Amino acid sequence: MPSICFYFEVHQPFRLNHFSVFNIGNTKDIHSTYFNKNLNQKIFEKVANKCYLPTNNLLLDLIRKYDGRFRISYSLTGTFVEYCENYKPELLDSFKELFKTGAVDLIDETYFHSLSGLYDELDEFEEQIKMHRQMIRRIFNYKPKVFRNTEAIFDNRIARKIADLGYKGILTEGAEKILGWRSPNFIYKAVNANLKVLLRNYKLSDDVGFRFSARNWPGFPLTADKYANWMSNSYGDVINLFMDYETFGEHQWVETGIFEFLKHLPGEVLKHDSLDFATVSEAVERYNTVGEVDSPWAISWADEDRNVSTWLGNNMQIACFNELKDIGRKLKRRGDRDLLYIWRLLQTSDHLYYISTKGFEDGNVHAYFSPYDIPYDGFINYMNILQDLKEKAENR
Amino acid sequence: MKIAMIGWEYPPFKVGGLGTHCYGLTHGLADKNVHIDFYMPKLRQKVKSDNKNIHIIEVGESEVYPYDRPDDKEIGGKFFDAVYRYNELLVSRIKGKYDVIHCHDWLTMKAAIAVKEKLGIPLVLTVHSTEYDRSGWIYPNQWFIDIEREGMQKADRIIAVSEFTKRVVVEKYGINPDKITVVHNAVYPIGEGEKRNLILFLGRLTIQKGPEFFLKTAKKVLDYEDARFVIAGIGDMLPKLIEQAVHLGISHKVIFTGKLTEEEVKHIYKISSIYVMPSVSEPFGITALEAISAGTPTIVSKSAGVSEVLKNCFKVDFWDTDEMANKIIALLRYDSLRDTMTQSSKREIQLFTWDRVAERTLQVYRGLV
Repeated sequence: MPSICFYFEVHQPFRLNHFSVFNIGNTKDIHSTYFNKNLNQKIFEKVANKCYLPTNNLLLDLIRKYDGRFRISYSLTGTFVEYCENYKPELLDSFKELFKTGAVDLIDETYFHSLSGLYDELDEFEEQIKMHRQMIRRIFNYKPKVFRNTEAIFDNRIARKIADLGYKGILTEGAEKILGWRSPNFIYKAVNANLKVLLRNYKLSDDVGFRFSARNWPGFPLTADKYANWMSNSYGDVINLFMDYETFGEHQWVETGIFEFLKHLPGEVLKHDSLDFATVSEAVERYNTVGEVDSPWAISWADEDRNVSTWLGNNMQIACFNELKDIGRKLKRRGDRDLLYIWRLLQTSDHLYYISTKGFEDGNVHAYFSPYDIPYDGFINYMNILQDLKEKAENR
Repeated sequence: MKIAMIGWEYPPFKVGGLGTHCYGLTHGLADKNVHIDFYMPKLRQKVKSDNKNIHIIEVGESEVYPYDRPDDKEIGGKFFDAVYRYNELLVSRIKGKYDVIHCHDWLTMKAAIAVKEKLGIPLVLTVHSTEYDRSGWIYPNQWFIDIEREGMQKADRIIAVSEFTKRVVVEKYGINPDKITVVHNAVYPIGEGEKRNLILFLGRLTIQKGPEFFLKTAKKVLDYEDARFVIAGIGDMLPKLIEQAVHLGISHKVIFTGKLTEEEVKHIYKISSIYVMPSVSEPFGITALEAISAGTPTIVSKSAGVSEVLKNCFKVDFWDTDEMANKIIALLRYDSLRDTMTQSSKREIQLFTWDRVAERTLQVYRGLV
């Protein structure tokens, strides 16, 4: 009897201001010159109204309607929570309300949605996870048992670190690279650590996340009963449906019928005796591992490549990434807390994502999410800011 | 299929995108077994065809002046005389059986209309630029506009080199958008050379091309980074530009090349590190494709047609010299940017073939015969 694990990633980055070479060395108030407050607030409020608030309300209703048999999991990034605290405290209250139902689980990740899991040393990674842990304890008085790294980036080194930090499970992509012929609908063990690995069923997840409104897709139109039937025909212990929360109302607009789909899904699923819902913690507790996964190289849920080329696929991205790491070493020696915080905001992986030059299908996805017309503009802006921060790190 | 194409310039005699386009288009069509009689003014230097399907027919006795918009009244007078004489002679000389007449820009429109009436066959007009572009949208001359409008009205189909140009033809000349097809230009790749610390402007030194913005940008860049700025080309703004460079205190960093031969143009593309096209109004801008094909990262004006189709280049408002300088300095400072842009744009440029231009043009012909 497969349990459906619905997991939503909730994240907003702090997008950057236009920052030209002439600004380098001439910044006074760093936060307001680096980050585009107006744009960020505008986008956040737009997405909150189109997606976060209506989806929260709908899910809360559904949990109550099905008396807790409909169960879901979330991870909220630190930057997202800061947005809530600054602009929409009622949104955070609504997440608390959801959590109080007992049908909602919370997952830890890096506070800044960063690529620190790929740095040469994992000290920064660990610090950001602890920051996230503290935040969840402060707001929800809860200690997550399951971890998900930025964009589901996973390798053996990360697995060991996460096990060392006391987590029972980790989420990542059900990539063929680590599964081979095996199904993502089971729980596996990391090859080098005592850690359960939940793997995203990318076909079923992307049916909702990407293909829901694609008219040229044979599954169109996707209805709740059709989708529930597909799942009831699936074999395994778990069906991991991991997706961006913004799927609801933002990537898929209200006009596509995505909310109607979501509204009817729990009822349709629960019509099948063979299906139920579980949070990620419950899935990790309930099911045993059936094998091991070995990931010497990093995988992720991004793009068709399902690796880290989305953020580190060209020389511009690698140059920024190296610069970022270098600045971090300098700042940590100095111990300037304000600059350290700014540096961490700049670690949010979105900044590197905008610089991706991957063409065609993936590139179109990137373009949709990017505030820049072309990746080269994104590079100049980000690199100029890093140069300014580097000057400050060296001179302060 | 046999086409009477009426042109104005053809390599090696050419001053702009028009000649390049005619060469690429005629060869692309010839490869598709279309026969072309290419009519053009008689020149001191003889132009020879290098393809059996293309016949070059020179018309006229006197040398004519390059495609331009002369400010000097005396030269201007001679120029217009030459255009008129060419057009009249062409009508009397043209003979043979053709399926379509294809003409390019205002210089050839009078003749094309007369030939259309004489032979009773359909007329295709390619608009490479309009009077609005050439004047930089400052005091466009009604005399040219009237000729252009008449040609556009009488043409059975119009090919515009960009969506931008199509809009001008619709909005400024009141032409039905349904008879306009957009066919973006192409390039014969030039190949990369050993790069030097040169930043290049190449084009006629006229208001339309925005060379004064290039100099203002140069000044801003030179406050931060060292480089030499090359202004390649001639035009009525040359004295003013020299003065401007002196006034900005950067004349020692600016090189005016004067008129370059085709070989010299290729060479300068090859050795330049960055190409800048700050045009006030640019229907397409083939030079951007040429520069990229020579491995030169390129910054184009947002008001250039090429910016509609080219992804791997910077797009800047022509007046925004701060931003232009920002991009140039970034390209000079950050190797990773220069390398990535060079590689990606060279890959992209392979899509811009004359074969594609010929194919689309042929589709337009087929719609008429």
